[in-house]
Amino acid sequence: MRMSTSAIVARNVVWSQRAHSEPYEAGWAENAVIFVRALRDAVGTGGRAHVEISPDGMNWVREGTSFDLPTERNAVSFARVTHFGNWLRLAGEFQNDSAVTLLVTLHLKS
Amino acid sequence: MRSDVPAVMHSLHRDPALSRFDPLGRIIAFDDFDRGFCGWTQLVGNYEDDLDAMLPGYAQHVSPMLSTLGHWDAGSHGGVDGDYALKIATRPQAGAQNVAIKRLTFRHAGPIRLEAYVTFKPEATELKLSETDVRSFGFLFDLQVGDTAGAGAERVMPHMRFLNAADGKHVQKWQFKRQSVPIVPIGSENKTISHYHLAPDGWEDLEGGDQRLCYNEIPTKVNWHYLRFDFDLGAMQCTHFQCNDRVFDVSGFDSLRIPAMKNLWCMLNVAFFAEADTNKRSFLYLDSVCLSGEF
Repeated sequence: MRMSTSAIVARNVVWSQRAHSEPYEAGWAENAVIFVRALRDAVGTGGRAHVEISPDGMNWVREGTSFDLPTERNAVSFARVTHFGNWLRLAGEFQNDSAVTLLVTLHLKS
Repeated sequence: MRSDVPAVMHSLHRDPALSRFDPLGRIIAFDDFDRGFCGWTQLVGNYEDDLDAMLPGYAQHVSPMLSTLGHWDAGSHGGVDGDYALKIATRPQAGAQNVAIKRLTFRHAGPIRLEAYVTFKPEATELKLSETDVRSFGFLFDLQVGDTAGAGAERVMPHMRFLNAADGKHVQKWQFKRQSVPIVPIGSENKTISHYHLAPDGWEDLEGGDQRLCYNEIPTKVNWHYLRFDFDLGAMQCTHFQCNDRVFDVSGFDSLRIPAMKNLWCMLNVAFFAEADTNKRSFLYLDSVCLSGEF
């Protein structure tokens, strides 16, 4: 049977300016879906998410996948990622005073 | 093979996965994280209606992960006998904690034994030994008697931690906690409470509990340590604690005890935790955990 898990890497946290989830090791997984749910309506115009990967969990680079973060309460956005090596995190980028309260979850499958 | 080892132990010694453990008669769970998460998950805090109700101690927790102990300078370290270990990582703030938990119930209020191979390190963000960056690591049980226990029924939470460092001092001693922490009602329906039992207050030194562990010489070299903790679910008392070659006197050990709660009968939860002493992530790795019982 293939392995699968759901990991909660940010819960009920307010992202603004530049923010990111905690590093997560997932070298055993062949693919990942990263879901982001807004727990409240966003302030301002919302933000942009960027998937980041790392050789060591300390130095990060954009993987190339980006998507708009949700702006309405309970709205969900996501990205699919493969070939990410071992380390994954999601970074957020916001303009001006925009902010949103988020739940970020990784869904990993071998 | 030793002649004083019972026959059942001889058979365990022939099993490569189990021969490094000394389980009681029945294995409740044998979790080798080369097989996956094995039922270990994030300790999430209680809430009702709104996640803001969650106590800050719990709000900081994130999910454990499967790690090969990959290091920037030497690559993957691996586990005792495979590629993966369960990794419990704090956030990069002094005092930050994270907890992974396995939730069971018991079928007999008798002896149980927790054994594990573990190691701990800070994130290798500096080219320094960093031996005082991890404040503590440890484990706890969250137990409650069965629903026929009657008056005076208790929820019992034995805690043990290795206080590695405090405010930059390399302390290296085992501590336990029996002091209750404030119980906070959660929500308005009188159904849920919360208490952050891993709060920094109330830890007491285990008698003779000083121990110097193998930390190694740079932050990316790790060595695995053996832990064994025996507890009697009938008497709700600790009967044995061992780390590597040291067996400690547990006659002074006691647990955090509070009145039984209405939804937790026969609860048998076991958790491991890590705590940072500096603004650097602290990691506790579990290679494998064996929980056994006599029933």
